Amino acid sequence: MRIAIIEDDEKMRHELSVFLQKYGYEVCTLENFEIVIEEALNKNPDLILLDINLPLFDGYYVCREIRKHSSVPIIILTSRNTEMDELMGMNLGADDFVSKPYNMQILLARIESVLKRTYKADFAQKLSHNGVSFDLSKGIVEFSGKYIELTKNEMKILHLLMKNSGKIISRDEIMNALWQSDEFIDDNTLTVNINRLRKKLEGIGVYDFLITKRGQGYMV
Amino acid sequence: MSFVEYLKEKALYFFIGILCAVFVVILLIFTGSNLYAVAYSFTLIFIGIAVCVSVDYLKRKDFYKNLLFCMRAMDKLYLLSEMVSPPGFYEGNVLCEALKLSNKAMNDQIAFYKNSMEEYREYIESWVHEIKTPIASGMLIVENNQGNAIKSIGEELEKIDAFVEQALFYSRSSSVEKDYIIKEQSLRGLVLSAVRRNSKALIQNKVFVEVEDFDFTVHTDSKWIDFILNQIISNSIKYKSENSKIKFSAQKSGTNISLFIEDNGIGISQKDVGRVFEKGFTGENGRKFKKSTGIGLYLCKKLCDKLGLSISISSEENKWTQVEIVFPKGGTHLLS
Repeated sequence: MRIAIIEDDEKMRHELSVFLQKYGYEVCTLENFEIVIEEALNKNPDLILLDINLPLFDGYYVCREIRKHSSVPIIILTSRNTEMDELMGMNLGADDFVSKPYNMQILLARIESVLKRTYKADFAQKLSHNGVSFDLSKGIVEFSGKYIELTKNEMKILHLLMKNSGKIISRDEIMNALWQSDEFIDDNTLTVNINRLRKKLEGIGVYDFLITKRGQGYMV
Repeated sequence: MSFVEYLKEKALYFFIGILCAVFVVILLIFTGSNLYAVAYSFTLIFIGIAVCVSVDYLKRKDFYKNLLFCMRAMDKLYLLSEMVSPPGFYEGNVLCEALKLSNKAMNDQIAFYKNSMEEYREYIESWVHEIKTPIASGMLIVENNQGNAIKSIGEELEKIDAFVEQALFYSRSSSVEKDYIIKEQSLRGLVLSAVRRNSKALIQNKVFVEVEDFDFTVHTDSKWIDFILNQIISNSIKYKSENSKIKFSAQKSGTNISLFIEDNGIGISQKDVGRVFEKGFTGENGRKFKKSTGIGLYLCKKLCDKLGLSISISSEENKWTQVEIVFPKGGTHLLS
């Protein structure tokens, strides 16, 4: 998935693209604001992150112009966060509205949900690691011909870990990700979920897949 | 103004008039006038004075009566000059004129301050939006880098952001302009989004959240409510105790919907609980924690007042604190 970032603050643009790349998105940044609309259309992104305070044209104008030619999803990023601004953005055809400074988990969740909404068909993702393959749309894990079905929380946890395979994910990060979908689980519940997930994986012959890093978190 | 009061006021004129009449009478008696003529003259002068006084009194009576009535009965006294019209006698006219001029001068003065306040508010508002960009970049940098120092800077950045947000809403709360939009909102949605927004702080501080199963729609501005809920949640985190927990529940009572936010934190002492909405009040907990500014709840109250909601706090020290926000159902309160 390619995300175009239209943001005039250089540092912000850079950090945002580093951040999104870390989470597996392809990123293109637009820097020439005189031709920003043409460029945005030319690069043919799957999603546009659009700042409102831009030089030359403001974001609302850019949003309206892009909408004239394309239905690519647009998420407006702004430091103006009144209902009025939000309404205005939505009326101009933006798909979502995130206010600065963004909670990164919220931003990611919003991006994901907009992408999911727009590209339903392409989103039937499959993740695989060490022979274990995980079908996100069905919530099914497969290993050497055997299947298990996961609950919502287990799916979320496994998704996060497999997406970041090789990296240690802290317990707080996992909890935060679950909280973003309104599962306000506590420490104990997370432990229970992780153990259950492990048991289920062992049930289909997957051992030592989900590794505990004492004091740091988990990884696959 | 009663007649007696009027007479007291004009006593000197009256006295001189009578005195003159007496002198005339004495003069007439000494020059050997007919007693009838003397009595006639005295009566004539007396009647003359009495007529003058009565006419003058009647002219003033209505004007002063109206003025005094307005002064006592009016709610907004600065509109007094609108209620009196020039009565047709000199002092009254001058008084009216003076009232109107002074009123106008005061209005100009008020407009001047209103303008400068509005300008200041606009500046604060744009400043807040300016500062959000560097804060956002900072947070991104924190997110993209690792290390304890970076993490701790990130926590400080979040505090800065919370204070900036407070400044923004403070300036909004005292503005005369109405910069909120009241729409139908899902109460559950509002609560969930506030919890999500605070997820990091809640998880870090090991505060468990329970949102009871309720589903009501309320009429309010989502951004303002978000700010209010944020303040309440961050208070619960700040004043937490062991095994901390925040519970959200809602109830319909009559035509109102009440949202309850209850925590099991350190609570508020009985003598402080009534004063928590006062500006700058920090109380015992403030002295213990030093992080209190006495602004958060004051702002919540002020914003609630503006939105037409009522907010109240009850607590038992060392046990629990409960905040109740009442949303009047239906759109009737929007009219105010």
